[in-house]
Amino acid sequence: MSVPVVEFTDERLPNGLRLIVVEDHLAPVVAVNLWYNVGSKNEVEGKTGFAHLFEHVMFQGSANVGKAEHMALVQAAGGTLNGSTWLDRTNYYETMPSHQLELALWLEADRMGTLLDALSQENLDNQREVVKNEKRWSYDNRPYGSWNEKILQHLFPKEHPYYHPTIGSMEDLDAASVDDVKSFFATWYAPDNAVLSVVGDCERDQVRAWVDRYFGPIPANGSFPALPDMSLPPVIGEERREVVEDKVPLPRIYIGFRAPVFGSTALDALDIAGQLLSGGKGSRLQRRLVREDRIAQDVAIFTLPFTGGASVCVGWATVRPGVDVATVEAAYLEELEKLATEPPTEDELARAKALTEADELGGLSRVEERADRLSMYATLFDDPALINTMLPRYLSVTGEQIRDACRAVFRADNRVVLTYVPVAGETEAPA
Amino acid sequence: MSPRDGMITQRPEPGAPRPYEFPATLRARLPNGLAIAVTPMPGRALMAASLLLRWGASDEPADKAGATVLATRGLTEGTERYEAIALTEAAERLGASVHAEAGWDAISAGFDVPATRMGQAMDLLAEIVRRPTFPAHEIERIRDERLTDLIQAKADPRRRADEVFANTIYAAECPYRRPAGGAAATVEGITADDLRVVHKGFAGPQRAALIVAGDVDPDEVVAVATQLFGDWSGGGVGGPAPLDTPAERTRRVRVVHRPGAVQTEIRLGHPGLPRRTPDYHAVTVMSAILGGLFNSRLNMNLREEKGYTYGAGAGFDMRRGRGPFSARAAVNTEVTVPAIVETLKELDRIREEPVTDAELRAARDYLIGVFPLRFETPGPVVGSLASLYLHGLPDDELATYRARIEAVTADDVLRVAREHIRPEEAALILVGDHDQFGTDLEALNLGPITVDTDDVPAEGSGDAAVEAGPLDGGESADGR
Repeated sequence: MSVPVVEFTDERLPNGLRLIVVEDHLAPVVAVNLWYNVGSKNEVEGKTGFAHLFEHVMFQGSANVGKAEHMALVQAAGGTLNGSTWLDRTNYYETMPSHQLELALWLEADRMGTLLDALSQENLDNQREVVKNEKRWSYDNRPYGSWNEKILQHLFPKEHPYYHPTIGSMEDLDAASVDDVKSFFATWYAPDNAVLSVVGDCERDQVRAWVDRYFGPIPANGSFPALPDMSLPPVIGEERREVVEDKVPLPRIYIGFRAPVFGSTALDALDIAGQLLSGGKGSRLQRRLVREDRIAQDVAIFTLPFTGGASVCVGWATVRPGVDVATVEAAYLEELEKLATEPPTEDELARAKALTEADELGGLSRVEERADRLSMYATLFDDPALINTMLPRYLSVTGEQIRDACRAVFRADNRVVLTYVPVAGETEAPA
Repeated sequence: MSPRDGMITQRPEPGAPRPYEFPATLRARLPNGLAIAVTPMPGRALMAASLLLRWGASDEPADKAGATVLATRGLTEGTERYEAIALTEAAERLGASVHAEAGWDAISAGFDVPATRMGQAMDLLAEIVRRPTFPAHEIERIRDERLTDLIQAKADPRRRADEVFANTIYAAECPYRRPAGGAAATVEGITADDLRVVHKGFAGPQRAALIVAGDVDPDEVVAVATQLFGDWSGGGVGGPAPLDTPAERTRRVRVVHRPGAVQTEIRLGHPGLPRRTPDYHAVTVMSAILGGLFNSRLNMNLREEKGYTYGAGAGFDMRRGRGPFSARAAVNTEVTVPAIVETLKELDRIREEPVTDAELRAARDYLIGVFPLRFETPGPVVGSLASLYLHGLPDDELATYRARIEAVTADDVLRVAREHIRPEEAALILVGDHDQFGTDLEALNLGPITVDTDDVPAEGSGDAAVEAGPLDGGESADGR
């Protein structure tokens, strides 16, 4: 098996917009993926959640597009779309039948150039309520829903840009004003802070001509505010523990670690470690805690890759009824410790790599995924060719590198343990 | 305000669409009755395969509810040649993910694998479907996991609302009234022997189809299938469409009271339609307008105008029998009653006046235009072909889909809305803080209201919370 090489062109418009194009005529579909180099890490104190609220405002219309009309036009063209915000970036994407590509480019250009022409207090207030309901739905009214925020707060110092989650706080969302939207747009939404990838059934020269026509008139910003120094010591320096009472029937432990930055070979090794530990029935944590000891209902461990200072490695185990939480924690940590002491077996490593390779084959077969990856690698690393080199990097990870990465990360003085327990007084024994 | 200099104000027109047809599919049948469908998709190196067995959770007897889902999970817990871990490891060496799921109508066991390794992966598929051993020790574990999952489900407002909704809208004798995986009362008693009985019933070629898509040669698929399944016999049971009678034909309200909940999960609906309804295409267009598209009436009203929710929708879950029709949203607690009023208003409106030309065109264009996007990769191709087989739909169902969507008129939409959406017969389920909206809810006079106090069950006793890990050195929860 070999994963096909992605052939792409990579160029810049005079206004700084980076354009990456892949021609692939297999299916009559084309993906557009626009990454802006701004995320919740660029928010300042008192304005948390703003990058994401702003993403919602991007669907409220621009000079030539009405409120919610972006969605209507793309869907009526037979396309699918969305946007998303994360700590390191914000992106917007459409997958279109190929003869509707030009519409998607025009829509993205119109809001990049003229968003503020359509901005109103009413639309901002409406989307503020929508986002507050998104927060309630995704975090506040969900069992164990606060883990993400709590893990970040334990792993990063208060002044660090990763300390607060992308969704932000209700207070800050309430405080967001039209002037904040204007200033955020003026500061960050410019062609020289964006990467546009177009992948699929298209002609490269035609794409460039359309992009020149629609995005060309948008002026560059020239410069962007620098982030504070995000560097961090590799470990947090102590074990941090918190017991959280929640409306849950079963206790669950979350275990988080500060991890190497995205793009480092140490994080590649840790990603493979995650696969060995919890990727499928035969993985170590599954096997030990779920199948053999039968003390956990489910287990997981994975990385959240970030570029500034540190990534996050986090996992959990849900405690089976009647089992002592401490037993689960001890078994979980013991499995991590084993991998930090002895390299995995050759067969274990070969299986993890075979799955990684098949996943890559499946993922890259979709135009949407290819476009997203190209924009990501260009935005975060100035290197879209990583789309072809990441897999070989994963496949070259050695057992010793995995052991060493685990040893450096899975340390008691680099660990956060959140223990979710049922709210006292609400417990009752099942029949 | 004027657009910036040089910006193009004119919306581009679409180019000429590239012709698209659902890919040609070869169909065959082995002498023992096993149906085969192969869709070659050149260039799709990660192929997908599914063995569909027409036996589902709605076919099982009520006193063994949950056995089908457990038997399906049990397929990968050990076979004559492999114990569970060895099976997983064999699949992983191929880069294959082997899976088996059961739904209301069918069991699907299959894999995704690099196409060059189809034969080896198919061998594992034949092994799990034909020769599972259901080791008692593993079956006890997956049964206990299911019981634990049922405890967890009560704590999740979304799952809780769905469960209470199904339990309210269907009559006591209907399988759809219970969760597809069964409730605790029956799951507790299921044994490995029960699973062997279920397996003996469903595992056979007569009611099975092997569906494959990707960069494969149909002749090779048939040859591999003949080798691995040619001598397969037995099975072949399956019932008529399940009972799907409504519990009542009057509007009523059930509240699950969760003190302090910041949102209310709303479900509003009644038994809907079977997949084989002749109104399938008109209902598809109507549902898109009412609650399927981003710009659907419900989402535009509740989200984009009122800001009550992150998303509101509605639709029909079509099964062999009449699966549920539901409108759904999670809204902030204070607007619970206004959100119900707006939802009912939209259900009435789509039944009272024809949709506009613009709405009709947008919905049809979306459904037609997105068709090729749905089939970019092998997995969804297999899924759609499986659905045809499962419901006994004609081979050209997918080929004629777009023309039939195009033919739907505003009158059709009005007619199917009037026939198939019945607000006066709907059950309204609310999972949220009843103290905050109870008085306003009564004032709406929607029908009889039942309030259940939330009873999130917890395992063990209060002791578990006290013993939950050392408290030294860290932060304690909310200042206690």
